[in-house]
Amino acid sequence: MNYLLSIKKKYILLAIFIFLIIVIVNIFIQSIYFKNNITDNSINFKNSESDIIKPKFSISSNTRKIFITADEGSFLKEGEILLKKNVMFNANKFKIFSDNVRFNKKNQTASSITKSKFISNKTEIISEGFEINDFGNKINFNGKTILNIK
Amino acid sequence: MNKIYKIIFCTIFLILQYSNSFAEINITTDEGIEVFQDEKYYLLKKNVEIVTDDYLLTADNVKANFEKDLYDIKHIFAKGNSLLKSDSRNITAKGPELEFNIKEQILKISGINSSLELDFASMYSDGKIDVYNNTGSFSLKGEKSKIIGNDIEVIGSDIKGKFSNTSNTNEIIELNVIDENISYVKTESLEMYAQKIFYNKEQDYVELFDNVKVIRDTETITGDYGKINMQNQSYKISSKDKSKVKVSLSNNDDE
Repeated sequence: MNYLLSIKKKYILLAIFIFLIIVIVNIFIQSIYFKNNITDNSINFKNSESDIIKPKFSISSNTRKIFITADEGSFLKEGEILLKKNVMFNANKFKIFSDNVRFNKKNQTASSITKSKFISNKTEIISEGFEINDFGNKINFNGKTILNIK
Repeated sequence: MNKIYKIIFCTIFLILQYSNSFAEINITTDEGIEVFQDEKYYLLKKNVEIVTDDYLLTADNVKANFEKDLYDIKHIFAKGNSLLKSDSRNITAKGPELEFNIKEQILKISGINSSLELDFASMYSDGKIDVYNNTGSFSLKGEKSKIIGNDIEVIGSDIKGKFSNTSNTNEIIELNVIDENISYVKTESLEMYAQKIFYNKEQDYVELFDNVKVIRDTETITGDYGKINMQNQSYKISSKDKSKVKVSLSNNDDE
């Protein structure tokens, strides 16, 4: 008889239980690792002078909406804001994390020349900066870039 | 004790299945990635390297089309010094341009010095090499198109064929070679020249059309049409003008 068929149900159930525990632990470890990675990328500004605390903006078109949050923000020129510390772009399908992002409220564009992390379904992109154009349809990741698909 | 072994066996089996479902693709570029979300493609710029469990692809620039999301790559178009290598599948493809349709298993290589090395044959062309893995068909078009196999050599500007991948060893089962100047097929015992050469493994014969020349050992026969039985190596050469069929025998025996 096939070896697998000779195994009693309770052993298989026990094995599935152990396996599920391993998967849950794995997911838990990965989520902690991810949180730490994001925190590691942040830059500590000695001069924390800022015009806005916890600013919130959005880039929106008919097809998508990207919510932007940060710890601090400073006005640069008309319609342009420098977002600092834990800047996050949160769209339906992806998130981008970075520090020091220039956001143009008028053109609905954003750019950064600091290390950035893009996270989407099964996908992670780490680059030396990024640009968001065309209301979020076009995203350029600049410099040496790593794309990891799981 | 036996129970513990069974539990360990089941757990290892499930862990292996789990880890297999997380086959990773790692992509690196020197000058970034441009993502076009509505158009569903992204451009990988400069010194691109794509590493998966099965394949390594390198190129100057790559365009990747995806289906649902970035992870779901369905088609890759590589440009400039393209190389696709798979040790597990015994494939090495090189060329200035390389297209790979992942879902439909279609590989296209084009440009000067294009090549595709498989475990049973190597293909070369200055034009285009297309391989449809699902159907087993292939085609080579353009100058310097050539196939070199274990016991066969094929040269022509337009080579179409089919390989069998049902048996343990892959082999060419169908071949259509066309060249306005002259096509050439060499087997272990025969050298064949003609403008069109057709081979069918099932019927096991070769047909030659126009400017036919068959060389076997010291024997050379020319004509307009030829049919060679590959099983017993017998052949018939004919011509519209009967006086055109020529048989020449050369004596290479120096003794």
